[in-house]
Amino acid sequence: MSQPNRIKGGQTDEQHALSFRWNGRNLTGCAGDTLASALLANGIRLVGRSFKYHRPRGIFSSGSEEPNALVQLREGAAQEPNTRATTVELFDGLVATSQNHRGSLEWDLLAINDLISPLLSAGFYYKTFMWPKAFWEKLYEPVIRSAAGLGRLSRLADPDVYDHGFLHCDLLVIGAGPAGLTAARAAARAGCRVILADEDFRMGGRLNAETHAVADMPGTEWATATCAELAGMPNVRLMPRTTIYGAFDHGIYGGLERKTDHLIDSAGKPRQVLWRIMSKRALLCAGATERSIAFANNDRPGVMLAGAVRSYVNRFGVAPGQQVAVFTNNSDGLRTAADLEARGIAVSAVIDARRGDAVIDTSGRKGLRSLTLNDGRKISADCLAVSGGWSPNVNLTCHHRGRPVWDDAIMGFVPGGDLPPGLSVAGAANGTMTLGGAIAEAHDAAKMIARDLGHARGAGKAPSASDEIYEASAIWHVGGSPARAWVDLQNDVTTKDIKQSMAEGFQAVEHVKRYTTLGMATDQGKTSNTLGIAMMAAASGNAIPETGTTVYRPPYTPVAIGAFAGRARGKDFRPFRLTPSHAWASANGADFVETGMWLRAQWFKRPGEAGWRDSVDREVAMTRASVGICDVTTLGKIDIQGRDAAEFLNRVYSNPFLKLPVGKVRYGLMLREDGIVYDDGTCARLAETHYVMTTTTANAGTVFRNLEFARQCLWPDLDVHLISTTDGWAQFAVAGPNSRALLSKVVDSMDLSNEAFPFMACSECTVFGGTPARLFRISFSGELAYEIAVPARYGHAMMGALMQVGEEFDAVPYGTEALGVMRIEKGHAAGNELNGQTTAHMLGLGGMVSRKKDSIGSKLSARPEMIRDDGMRLVGFRPVDRTQLLTAGAHFLEAGAPADMAHDQGWMTSVAYSPELGHSIGIGYLKRGGERFGETVRAYSPVRNQDIMVEICSPHHIDPEGERQRG
Amino acid sequence: MADIRLTAAPLSGGGDIDIAGNRIIARDDLALVSVATPLQGDAALKKVLTAEFGLKMPSATLSSMAKGVRAVSMAPDAMLLIFAHPTPDAEMHVRAKLGGAGYTTDQTDSMLAIEVSGPDTMAAMERICPLDLHPDSFGKNASGRTVMEHMAATIIALGDAHFLLLTASSSAKSFLHALETSYHNVTG
Repeated sequence: MSQPNRIKGGQTDEQHALSFRWNGRNLTGCAGDTLASALLANGIRLVGRSFKYHRPRGIFSSGSEEPNALVQLREGAAQEPNTRATTVELFDGLVATSQNHRGSLEWDLLAINDLISPLLSAGFYYKTFMWPKAFWEKLYEPVIRSAAGLGRLSRLADPDVYDHGFLHCDLLVIGAGPAGLTAARAAARAGCRVILADEDFRMGGRLNAETHAVADMPGTEWATATCAELAGMPNVRLMPRTTIYGAFDHGIYGGLERKTDHLIDSAGKPRQVLWRIMSKRALLCAGATERSIAFANNDRPGVMLAGAVRSYVNRFGVAPGQQVAVFTNNSDGLRTAADLEARGIAVSAVIDARRGDAVIDTSGRKGLRSLTLNDGRKISADCLAVSGGWSPNVNLTCHHRGRPVWDDAIMGFVPGGDLPPGLSVAGAANGTMTLGGAIAEAHDAAKMIARDLGHARGAGKAPSASDEIYEASAIWHVGGSPARAWVDLQNDVTTKDIKQSMAEGFQAVEHVKRYTTLGMATDQGKTSNTLGIAMMAAASGNAIPETGTTVYRPPYTPVAIGAFAGRARGKDFRPFRLTPSHAWASANGADFVETGMWLRAQWFKRPGEAGWRDSVDREVAMTRASVGICDVTTLGKIDIQGRDAAEFLNRVYSNPFLKLPVGKVRYGLMLREDGIVYDDGTCARLAETHYVMTTTTANAGTVFRNLEFARQCLWPDLDVHLISTTDGWAQFAVAGPNSRALLSKVVDSMDLSNEAFPFMACSECTVFGGTPARLFRISFSGELAYEIAVPARYGHAMMGALMQVGEEFDAVPYGTEALGVMRIEKGHAAGNELNGQTTAHMLGLGGMVSRKKDSIGSKLSARPEMIRDDGMRLVGFRPVDRTQLLTAGAHFLEAGAPADMAHDQGWMTSVAYSPELGHSIGIGYLKRGGERFGETVRAYSPVRNQDIMVEICSPHHIDPEGERQRG
Repeated sequence: MADIRLTAAPLSGGGDIDIAGNRIIARDDLALVSVATPLQGDAALKKVLTAEFGLKMPSATLSSMAKGVRAVSMAPDAMLLIFAHPTPDAEMHVRAKLGGAGYTTDQTDSMLAIEVSGPDTMAAMERICPLDLHPDSFGKNASGRTVMEHMAATIIALGDAHFLLLTASSSAKSFLHALETSYHNVTG
């Protein structure tokens, strides 16, 4: 037989053999095995090295509390470190390797750490490596970092797929052991929508590991039958392989479902799904975790928790050793000997600490060989089943900062009174340690929850089960040996470390935790926290309740970062918004830029153009010479209707809006309540009670939100309604001296002459023989310009049609870069200028804040500091040496002044190369800028190592009188 | 005048996608018109809605349907009328019928309507929709506004495992991709 430790009678399927590879060795296990049980079945006891001392370590538990058997699972990019072999479901083709050793697992070079362990006690890194100072970064830290850590990342992109999801239920039952199964069945029978989640791939919890009877049948058979009943109920969702890792607000629980981790190939489906489970009530039936006893060399491979030994024997059909000894301080541990003997496994000793017997030391470097008892006897054993009592799994009860309380009766912490709202606890997790008690408690809890939720159908009766006595004694540590005794196996924390921490003044629980790293490993101290606190209590002379406890935080067990990210990776990281002409732009050489979620064309490359500047310069020049077309759909558009729409606008814009005539557009400035400018745009009056507001692309959402706040909360008495139409209209800027001529061939039956349709006019119209449209005569470029909008479904066709009609004018499409160049040439403010500190006065728009009416921000904008004449003012700049390029962000200094804050005169906000002027231009804020046209200052940019002289000028570099746009 | 006529392009890029027997259909044929209630105008709007469309005022979580027009509540004082209408004048059509009893805005081009159905629809929606879509909680004609994959969405139950989703047209491709991904992840 290839599995020397496989025994009859387990619940694995021996007929279904599975091949797997461990450290390059081909081995065989059975369906239903974990990696840990399969390794044990193959006689492998040494599976890893400890974190700090690189001590040989074996399998310690049979569940998610495992501190030792952390392995690298899979290969290549799919490799996952620090996976607990005790929870990995065996599958055909599984590949795993041991981790945290230099050299082979058997001959780990870093095992030298164990020999120099006196130098590596708790907090050693706070006391050493002090000299020479320069060695810390160059030698000590690199060496420590190289040696530290457990598994290794592949450093390749994770090829697996992850997903998120949302679930809803009346009752979430956490844990499918006897209590959880009972509760789920009772609640489901009563009519509740139930989710039953368990981290194990086989539901039943400890019933699968023990030989108890429930409802007069073997516990595991009752569990199987109950699962079958639940699976057949339409109001129940069974979720094996699902860890509820966190309790969050409003009854929301985080669940990690391992969908395909047990398959060799996920076939492109999500490996794991991170669920947000929204429950009306939750019932924690997470059971309890066994803990160890601290005695010398209690960490050798072969030293296991007694409950785990029973799991391997009863559930997995694996003998953890040929000669097993049992060391216990409670009645539960004694069952181990009975179960072993029933399977024909030799029990070499039962050491009951309650009778004064104790193990004081062990021997066997890479696997347990013998024990030394406190009476001097040596006992041969290759496995020691240790039970130091059980600790209720209260973790989730602490996720809202609730603190567990000590219960002397079970020698463990039980949930305190401050539970997450809607959460109840039943069974061993609640400190009810007997099977019958746990089942009865869970049944009653589920019935009560069902009643609370209005489900009155019969929940049935709780099944009968044995109610054996559970007695634990306060025996935590056995002395009598100078060798180290381990408390926290995963972080290599010993009793000596805890004593040292206490002696050095780090005595509070949280201090000991951080000084020694007790409970800070990936297992969150599941097997060590209670033992550690007991050791602290002993060292301080206090009782355990006085010593206190740490609080558990999510996640209950580690969650892969990929699961948190879900499908939000690469291009799926966030959604994109596309303009209606996106496909046209893409087909015509557009290079796109992300502006918020929008993808906008930033320029259109033509053959022969060497770089983006060539494209942008051409687009600007041709627009100013003839006509250019730009998709400006991304600007926010808000439809405003109502009898009081004019009054509403008059209150939200700083400038007057009451008298805007129908058919006219007005530029508007919006202030925050503190008087700072936060957005600008235009507003067109299409009818008496109908306006269309435009906002900047970046602030479309913010403006809409603020307007809704004003509408709903500030002035609910106004008859006004808002709705976003940003996506509904494809809007195009048509700019340049030939824009009118071009649009005359587009717009149906409408006089576009300056007299009939002057600057800042607007109208609803039709284009190309009947397609509805809106036309606005507004200009961001400073040219004669229009914006024309059509329903978005026509946007693609409209762009093509505009270009087709524009052929005779050499019309060009232009992107956001050319748009930016032209607005800088014209001196229009944009995002760079509206940086959250800008006043209307600084922009030279102080006159737009009406003092004859009240509007949002108008009062505070009149504060003296906001309107001081010697403050910053938006002005233009050009290099004295016209061949030099300006840089945005440069600060202005007087010639010869030191470059410090005291002499700072302002800063350059935006720069561009002006094809029309033939040199670089900029706009920015300068102290007393409006009075200083013609002066020169230094533009100093230490970031770009630039220090040049610039001339101060009007921000309107082109057409300062606005003749073009009004022409 | 140039001899050009503009042709409407589907907002979604078009599509009737079948994934393992599940359908994702972009309903480019549906018109969407928002109707806002004038201040103190609830009774008048209710009356004209019944008279002209045979519709009840929708509640916050339940749409109403009559004569091929569905009314979905979008806010306490705003609803959306959804009906088949091929030409870009749906708003005018509704405005004329309401006779000033409501403020109308055409949203046909602002939002894309997507119909989803099929055996894996509930499982697929679990991956994307935060709302409880169990028939006991979200029965036929139920409606809700939510966020799916960071995108605002409205969902209406048309029947068992059969929903109409409304989402912003500019991000419709991302939304459709998210839907397809959800179906892909739960099928096969």
